[in-house]
Amino acid sequence: MIDSLCDQARGEDITVSGFYYDFLAQQEQTTTNVMGSILKQLVGRDIPKHIREAFEDWKRGIGRGLRHVEMMAMLSIAIASLHQVFICIDALDECLPKHLPELLKSLRDIVRESPTTRIFLTGRPHIREDIQRYLTKVVVIPISPNKDDIRNYLEMKLDGDADPEAMNDNLRAAIVRVILEKTSDMCVGTFNISTL
Amino acid sequence: MAQSTHMRSIQFGDNNANCGNTVGSYNKTVYKSDEDAQIMRWLSPLESSNRHQGVCTDRFDGVGDWLLETWEFREWRGSDGGADKAVLFCSGNPGVGKTYLR
Repeated sequence: MIDSLCDQARGEDITVSGFYYDFLAQQEQTTTNVMGSILKQLVGRDIPKHIREAFEDWKRGIGRGLRHVEMMAMLSIAIASLHQVFICIDALDECLPKHLPELLKSLRDIVRESPTTRIFLTGRPHIREDIQRYLTKVVVIPISPNKDDIRNYLEMKLDGDADPEAMNDNLRAAIVRVILEKTSDMCVGTFNISTL
Repeated sequence: MAQSTHMRSIQFGDNNANCGNTVGSYNKTVYKSDEDAQIMRWLSPLESSNRHQGVCTDRFDGVGDWLLETWEFREWRGSDGGADKAVLFCSGNPGVGKTYLR
């Protein structure tokens, strides 16, 4: 998604940033750190004056950590200085539940302050209610495995078969057919469970 | 040690050659000075570009192209809707390929 937006961004004045949640890194993926990661991507190599000054102030302080409200203030200035910002956040369900409300509130604040900012989120379906608690206008697109995607993937894997001697057209066609049948059964199964 | 944390350079496959060339400077991780590197670590110890690199390499081209054609995506992308159309959520069960959407 980040690449698609970057591709589209050529010739347009947009700035794309992204973050992947990972349950293996939950502890350090605090909302402040995640917003910091977004901010780093937005500013790039040319660190703006307001961030340098905040850093100098912090160094003169008594060694406390960077507070979330300070992070959001820096992020807000950075976003305001750009034409349009896209923020992509993947696997929201892998964010620690105790960090999620603050993340969603932060995203809400960003959009309120900068209505042209676009936010792209992915996650398991159950996280939708959490999102809607803070971002009431969210547009939801359900993702399920697409037959063409599966077929393309199978064709690629079959082309790369390490033992092509053992393969023939009939076997190849049978493999693709059976796997597509089985995966569509899986989709129907999931659908039935979710509509109960 | 400082080098290992801020001198990473990111390689993308041909399809993603433009990843790092956007205005957003998504993966510019080489900083001008030690102080710049220090400021970046202060902002966040997290580096998201490393994960993006892995996903780019493993991804199969064309997956999820249908999403870009949906009315919902276009509405969101167009940004005429302002704050009301600002947030798009792709919801799916584990393993359906949300991370690998191109």
